Amino acid sequence: MLLKYVLRRMSIGLVQLLGLSITVFFLIRLLPADPVSRLVGMNASKEAYAQAQAQLGLDRPVLTQLLIYLGFQPDVAPGLLQGSLGVSWVTGSQVTAEIAAYLPVTLELVTLSFLFAFAVAVPVGMLSALRPGGRADKGVFLYSLFAGSQPEFWWGLLFVYVFFFKLGWAPAPLGRLSPMTTPPPATTGFILIDTLLAGQPAKFVEAAHHLLLPVLNLAFVLSGPIIKMVRQNMLRALQSDFVLYANSIGLPRKVVARYALRAAMAPSMTLIGILYGFMLSGAVLVETVFSLGGIGQYAVRSVLAFDYPAIQGVVLVITAISLVVYLLLDLIHAAIDPRIAY
Amino acid sequence: MSALPDIEALPALPPKPADWLFRIGLAIVITVTILAVIGPYIGPYDPTLTTVRVAQPPPSLLELPGLLKGWVAGTLEYPPHLMGTDVSGYDIFSRVIAAPRTDLMIALTANFLSLVVGVFLGLIAGYFRNFATELLMRVSDVMQSFPVFISAMVLVTLAGRSTSNIIIALAFVYIPIYIRLTRAEVLSQKSRGFVEAARAMGNSEIAIALRHVLPNSLTPALIQSSVTIGFAILLTAGLSFVGAGVRPPTPEWGLMISTGANTIILGEWWPSVFPGIAISLTVFGFAVLGNALERRYEDG
Repeated sequence: MLLKYVLRRMSIGLVQLLGLSITVFFLIRLLPADPVSRLVGMNASKEAYAQAQAQLGLDRPVLTQLLIYLGFQPDVAPGLLQGSLGVSWVTGSQVTAEIAAYLPVTLELVTLSFLFAFAVAVPVGMLSALRPGGRADKGVFLYSLFAGSQPEFWWGLLFVYVFFFKLGWAPAPLGRLSPMTTPPPATTGFILIDTLLAGQPAKFVEAAHHLLLPVLNLAFVLSGPIIKMVRQNMLRALQSDFVLYANSIGLPRKVVARYALRAAMAPSMTLIGILYGFMLSGAVLVETVFSLGGIGQYAVRSVLAFDYPAIQGVVLVITAISLVVYLLLDLIHAAIDPRIAY
Repeated sequence: MSALPDIEALPALPPKPADWLFRIGLAIVITVTILAVIGPYIGPYDPTLTTVRVAQPPPSLLELPGLLKGWVAGTLEYPPHLMGTDVSGYDIFSRVIAAPRTDLMIALTANFLSLVVGVFLGLIAGYFRNFATELLMRVSDVMQSFPVFISAMVLVTLAGRSTSNIIIALAFVYIPIYIRLTRAEVLSQKSRGFVEAARAMGNSEIAIALRHVLPNSLTPALIQSSVTIGFAILLTAGLSFVGAGVRPPTPEWGLMISTGANTIILGEWWPSVFPGIAISLTVFGFAVLGNALERRYEDG
């Protein structure tokens, strides 16, 4: 049953991704941008322009370009069917390889920020739900409304000013490691894991130190909606019949709270998934502030350079990851909530 | 005949004493709206012209009363730079109060466009259920699965970094939300008694959809507006911050923060901090307002 559900969800996801790839493909070609003149420059001769156009494959009819992109003409160039996202027009290397290099940084940043925000939000949201309308609850409500509506990049700059410039506690916002440090051999691409695998604890500490401010920055913004959600779901759970029953048979408050928390976490999973997907591209501003070199910065670079294959690749990969995260969280939801069966 | 839907629409927004938080939110939103109209004209300097004083820090709080007195008395060499000047010599105060013209105008127009288009499509998708509206929902699903920031960036950059293109891009990314909200509300409204009554009176389906179902299905979309306007301001500022938004020297908060981002690491905090406070308060104001409306709607 479960396997069938997962397979069904994955096939829907694949259709969605196909629709998305085709939409993005046409959308960026419909817009009045001229990537060829962007590459060869405004004053290039007609011959140079035509040559560049042919090199990028833009002289072919649009439908042929689409077929090549999707991978139906592998003799011209490998496409999606062959597992290739094409070649970057700016760097000339495979888009898949470039994304594989940039993506781990973002995944590391976003995942750690979520864990951190969650670790803070769950107890805070629970406490505020235990006494709704109380002073603590009002304060928490105000905080979550505020944190959820903040320009995260500005807070990032403030953090840099206070913790780097004024106090000197944080390293300069110049990347995942100090510019002088040689990065560990890339095994997984996740620098925190790679340093441990290579047995370089000093570099692990350095990498963690560089990640501290960006993670705090994102976690601050994320904590707003997460606290609000935990509080709401917890309130609903505390008012439900099973909590009334548990209380009436005299179970200790701790046990009841644990039951209620479990019931409150289940519906939270959906929003967590949506937030995670949103953050994969939303982290771009924090990545820019701290020059982390994640997928968001790669997207900015590609968009500003009119690098179509890279743009298509980034959008596709980010959406694909979001869909996988949605699926995983729905499965976790089902595992927590016994009422849901697939 | 129209009395019936009006009675049903009333409890959606019951008159309730506003709490202090709501008043703060309202005050912020009104201030920013007024600044969007008169902001560019009331600053001591032209927001798009540089001065000769570059990277001047703002006056300290102790100097401030003297400066203001001198300004009023006209004994100063030049009007004070209340928030300092940036690396190009722009007066930050004049630009901070001129920026709502850009930020709020973009956010309001984009929200209005997506609200109108989204509500209309949502009404059709909810009221008439057939192959075409199913297709519409699937397209809307695909649009909603786009990464918001990246799609806005792609649309703006490839279409050309102009204010109108930013508005269109933002409207585009926010349309699916309104389709979804309105459709859900229409689905719950169209089986209500007043629809049956309108049908029994011999109204055509289109008239029922437009005159009876639509007014009753607007509330969720209108509440969402306040949230969307706030997020649209954040998105506009974020686009400028990565270099995919409005062009300098347009006074825009995100662009100003981005100008100051290069020097904040050297201790020049004022070019980024003041416009940031402005965004922070503005979006918070809209969030408070949206939340208050939402709670009233839920209570009612």
